[in-house]
Amino acid sequence: MIIMKANATPQEVEAVIAQIKSMGLAVHLSQGVEATIIGAIGETHSIPTERFEGLDGVDIVQRITQPYKLASRQFHPDDSIISLDGFNVGGNQIAVIAGPCSVESRSQIIETAIAVKEAGASALRGGVFKPRTSPYSFQGLGEEGLELLAEAREKTGLPIVVEIMSQVQVDVMVKYVDVLQVGARNMQNFNLLRAIGETRTAVLLKRGLSATIEELLMSAEYILAGGNQRVMLCERGIRTFETSTRNTTDINAIPVLKNLTHLPVILDPSHSTGHADYVAAIARAGIAAGADGLIIEVHPDPAKAVSDGKQSLKPEKFAELVKQVGQIAQIMGRGLASVQGEYSPLKQGWA
Amino acid sequence: MMIIMHPGAPREQIDAVIAEIEKHKLSSHPIFGVEQTIIGAVGDGHYVAKEIFEALPGVLSVQRISQPYKLASRQFHEQDSVFQLDGFTVGGTEVPIIAGPCSVESREQILEIAQAVKEAGANALRGGVFKPRTSPYAFQGLGEEGLEYMAEAREKTGLPIVVEVMAVSQIAMMEKYVDVFQLGARNMQNFNLLRAIGETRTPVLFKRGMSATIEEMLMASEYIISGGNTRVMLCERGIRTFETATRNTTDINAIPVLKKLTHLPVIIDPSHSTGDSAYVSAIAKAGVAAGADGVIVEVHNDPAHAISDGKQSLTPEAFARMVKQVKAVAEAVDRRLVPQHVTA
Repeated sequence: MIIMKANATPQEVEAVIAQIKSMGLAVHLSQGVEATIIGAIGETHSIPTERFEGLDGVDIVQRITQPYKLASRQFHPDDSIISLDGFNVGGNQIAVIAGPCSVESRSQIIETAIAVKEAGASALRGGVFKPRTSPYSFQGLGEEGLELLAEAREKTGLPIVVEIMSQVQVDVMVKYVDVLQVGARNMQNFNLLRAIGETRTAVLLKRGLSATIEELLMSAEYILAGGNQRVMLCERGIRTFETSTRNTTDINAIPVLKNLTHLPVILDPSHSTGHADYVAAIARAGIAAGADGLIIEVHPDPAKAVSDGKQSLKPEKFAELVKQVGQIAQIMGRGLASVQGEYSPLKQGWA
Repeated sequence: MMIIMHPGAPREQIDAVIAEIEKHKLSSHPIFGVEQTIIGAVGDGHYVAKEIFEALPGVLSVQRISQPYKLASRQFHEQDSVFQLDGFTVGGTEVPIIAGPCSVESREQILEIAQAVKEAGANALRGGVFKPRTSPYAFQGLGEEGLEYMAEAREKTGLPIVVEVMAVSQIAMMEKYVDVFQLGARNMQNFNLLRAIGETRTPVLFKRGMSATIEEMLMASEYIISGGNTRVMLCERGIRTFETATRNTTDINAIPVLKKLTHLPVIIDPSHSTGDSAYVSAIAKAGVAAGADGVIVEVHNDPAHAISDGKQSLTPEAFARMVKQVKAVAEAVDRRLVPQHVTA
């Protein structure tokens, strides 16, 4: 919808109409007493509003339809259900992904994997390439870490979720991981998004620290447009003026996303609060608000974690959280996902 | 309080800070590092403004270690504050639900909504008669006439009434009518109003300012409590952020953070914190799941024709569905809704 300035000339209005027609769209003109409004009707999601904002006499250009299509519920009314090895995300099952911020050592990741599985986790997280704020902080174990995660998967049957930081890591990562995590700092790394769109590995796309919900959906569209349909969105807190927590959990984003998109929505209460004391309360809130899953940082010894110790739960605390979340899931008519069957290295998959 | 000096601050400046600390009857504990000196100020310093030290020469920064509020703090009042309203308690096991229109528009409107929300499970009635509208040309409320209607609605339903007070001059008149004063977000730091409310003994529903931090909210509530009015309920109603998909951003983190920092009951207002009736129920459930002690919701019998806040108001039917869902969540976190109110 293009709103003309009050003093726009008939020639300027004509120029806008010509531009709309040249894009194969239909024109709907309404001339009011003070302002002229021109509707552009048709397939507009691929046309930038800038195309009209630059024309003379144009005051405001407002989009009526959403600028994303594949991610939109308008074009895909049913929830997308993404099957991971052993369970589904986006249906009645609530996925609980848990593990340390970083893979630190063989014993650490295997011990954590067994502990989170016993507590009821359905997938294992662990970073091997770490986007640390400081270039001097621990940067991750790299491929060695992937080997350790693969071993943890073999021992527990839990699929593994690992952050990818760069296009050059795609080839090695897809050999190992079940879910590629795109971190908040890379939500608008468009080359990385396109490269992931070309794979067929499931993706956990985290919301950027200062990204709007619409921007998150536009980023998901990059991956979907490449043909990779298996995208899960993740709310991990946004940057606000409040300083008593690391981020502000945008809990509104859960029902808003469920309304706008068919993609599963996961909540990360560890990052969205930054404090272990608040993780369980916000995990319960997320499921009560309609989230399809949780991703939670768990460490066997948070005080000695190389990263994110303050927000990591001990395995016992995590087990309590899973119980509480299970109760909320139940009253929402859902249940916790659990990995079915045993991992079979021969078949490279789950029974 | 911890006072961090500039690297290389001379001895005279350090001594001046120490003298200032002692002047406030606090003891000083300087730590002389290789590059910098840090001076601890120990004692009951919650009433000493850190600005006093920030202004002294040679001071780099001042950090508070203890909380700058005392009466609101859980450190000084470990047990949850539980208080009685007409027919229920707030802050204990019961999770009360306050519902009603944004504004009292007419006698019929408020009586009809009061009856409807009561039947759907509300425990108290909200309704504004003095409205802090963004535009000075928008409907400003019915004033005392509206209070008469609210009082009549209370008489007919037995529901206590929650009404926003906007000015010190309204207090004496409002006290005669209302069960709970609501202090609106835009008045959270109207300190004269806070002091005047602190002198009454009417319970207060205290809303967080749109851009107020949790600490600022607790400091402001301290104004009321320090006047002797201890029955203060804090309300998270969404904060201003860059996100435009919703009217405000519900700071759900504030619920467990407040429950940790203060003994006061914490109420969630999902109507204002989302601004869209489609999201109210989900966020009401989230609030109770996160540990909120109550919910305040806007309900209108005809949202499309409401004078204010129509977009975020639930119909009585949608509200009844919300109450059922919130009840289930409350029970999942070992709480319960208030048993149905008995008509007085």
